[in-house]
Amino acid sequence: MALIECRSLTKAYKRGSGTITPLHELDLDVESGDFLALMGPSGSGKTTLLNLIAGIDRPTGGELCIDGADIATLSRSRLADWRSENIGYIFQLYNLVPVLTAYENVELPLLLHRMPGRERHERVRTALRLVGIADRHDHYPRQLSGGQEQRVAIARAIVTDPRIIVADEPTGDLDAESATAIMQLLTRLNRELNKTLIMVTHDAKCAGYARRALHLEKGRLVEPGRIGSEAEQEAAA
Amino acid sequence: MIAPRYIPVVFKQVWRHRTRSMLTIAGVTVAMFLFIAVQALQKGVHDATSITAADQTLVVYRENRFCPATSRLPERYLERIVRVPGVAEVIPMKVVVNNCRAALDVITYRGVPAEDLTLLGRRWVVTAGSLENWKGRADAAIVGEHLAARRGFKVGESFDSSGVTVNIAAIIRSDEPQDQNVAYVHLPFLQQAAAGGGVGVVTQFSVKVADPTRLEQVGKAIDDEFRTESEPTTTRSEKAFVAQAGQDIVEIVGFTRLLGWGCLAAVLALVANAIVLSVQDRIKEHAVLQTLGFGSGLIARLIIAEGVVIGLIGGVLGAALAVGVVGYGRFSISAEGLSVNVSASPRVILTGLAIAAGVGILAGLAPAWQAGRREIAQCFRAV
Ligand SMILES: Nc1ncnc2c1ncn2[C@@H]1O[C@H](COP(=O)(O)OP(=O)(O)OP(=O)(O)O)[C@@H](O)[C@H]1O
Ligand SMILES: [Mg+2]
Repeated sequence: MALIECRSLTKAYKRGSGTITPLHELDLDVESGDFLALMGPSGSGKTTLLNLIAGIDRPTGGELCIDGADIATLSRSRLADWRSENIGYIFQLYNLVPVLTAYENVELPLLLHRMPGRERHERVRTALRLVGIADRHDHYPRQLSGGQEQRVAIARAIVTDPRIIVADEPTGDLDAESATAIMQLLTRLNRELNKTLIMVTHDAKCAGYARRALHLEKGRLVEPGRIGSEAEQEAAA
Repeated sequence: MIAPRYIPVVFKQVWRHRTRSMLTIAGVTVAMFLFIAVQALQKGVHDATSITAADQTLVVYRENRFCPATSRLPERYLERIVRVPGVAEVIPMKVVVNNCRAALDVITYRGVPAEDLTLLGRRWVVTAGSLENWKGRADAAIVGEHLAARRGFKVGESFDSSGVTVNIAAIIRSDEPQDQNVAYVHLPFLQQAAAGGGVGVVTQFSVKVADPTRLEQVGKAIDDEFRTESEPTTTRSEKAFVAQAGQDIVEIVGFTRLLGWGCLAAVLALVANAIVLSVQDRIKEHAVLQTLGFGSGLIARLIIAEGVVIGLIGGVLGAALAVGVVGYGRFSISAEGLSVNVSASPRVILTGLAIAAGVGILAGLAPAWQAGRREIAQCFRAV
């Protein structure tokens, strides 16, 4: 059984008389330890899919089983607990809390878990060291570069040791050099720590770091053969 | 409410909008100062006017007179009052005030016979000077602690009020609110020195009854004794007398109760405004916290804790201000020679702080509930 199983997964919004369907009966399996890149044009439903898997949005149809649990049926508070144990989320714009230092930002998800202060401290230290930013632990987000902020955000995503890490265009706001460093870091998380990664990206180079890439168009997965066909047609036109 | 490990996060959020939080806290401070001052005033009136089961003092006054300047009774009534069944002690008293209307800084003289000093002295603690000094000197005065503190009086000094100059022999502390604000002088001295009345005339008699439960019956018996005289009397318990003679004060203070509620409403509005603004600024941040696994309830409690912090800081500052002002000023409101002490007791302050915290909770309730309820994914799109 795959770690993540989507069956006819659908997300639809009612808009006046019509409906918008960002995700249309999507079937997808992601095995444990996979590194999946999600690509596709803007508005194709990449973020929507990612949010469903991360448990911060709810499907309107189909099934979504993660590690054997049907997360669509969990109550709001159970779902929050589930996220805290199973999901690390990396955002395009880092989304660090500006009034907290790098250290405190990384500590934040650990506050939800009962543990001795010493252990919490050790875990934050380890995470900061892993992303190579231990020397900046007492800096505030505004004192860090975009690449450094994203490292802190990655440390925050892995500090609780979740099985699944989702990233929505994690290099979308970074220069090429920082982007490469972040991609190498994510690859290490997958290869060395065996994290299951799902990453949305517009950049083929970034997608190259993943074990496999899937393409979304208008809420559906498209065959590898047809990849980018629309974008190419648009470019040609 | 929240685990201690979250408290630094709460303080950092309050500190985030320094100017806004400071202004809010300043507003809460002023409002809580007023609230506690009003409560202290209420407590003063309550202490001065509510009769307790142990009260055994009656005041015999001239019927239908309410001001010491107009209540005149013959000193010779004394022998007849003593003979009324149930009466234990009687002290004739002449009262002279420098201001008969309700005012904040009134000096009240009470002229009493030297031989009655032991009766009065039972409820006093002498904090400076000695009662013996008083007996030996005709113009000597025993001054209540509040009055002495308010005017900066010291033993050995002289002061003048209502055209009567006296020399301070002792300063006393007393559980009786009235004692704290008067100057006791020799009765014959006051009868001669002060205008109005003259020798053989007093303002009132202070009567102790043997059995507190028979307070009313004894009072009625005294009034019956003088009903047919040309100078009839009205006798009431001391507290009831204060309540009636100081009716102006009691009514005004009763009105300030509204002022107190108004202050609390202001605190509520101030804190709620600060919390609503800061929560609106942080919709996305709360979505991030929820993504990390913070539940709606926890986020709501963190927001409420911010309200409590603001309310409590303002409450503590306001209480400190109130203690400073009320304690340093030793205010007492006097009317018709009777006074109501304003004192910020620990109980008044603790109640004030509890209310400040409660109002903080109340202020955070609605924004907290909303913040926990938002759809996470929508919050990220809404920017
Ligand atoms: N609350 C909503 N109501 C209506 N439509 C919505 C809502 N949220 C998202 N959508 C629509 O869902 C579609 C998919 O959005 P999504 O954000 O998943 O696209 P995306 O592939 O992540 O695009 P991008 O590359 O620009 O980030 C879009 O057409 C969007 O307008
Ligand atoms: Mg997107």
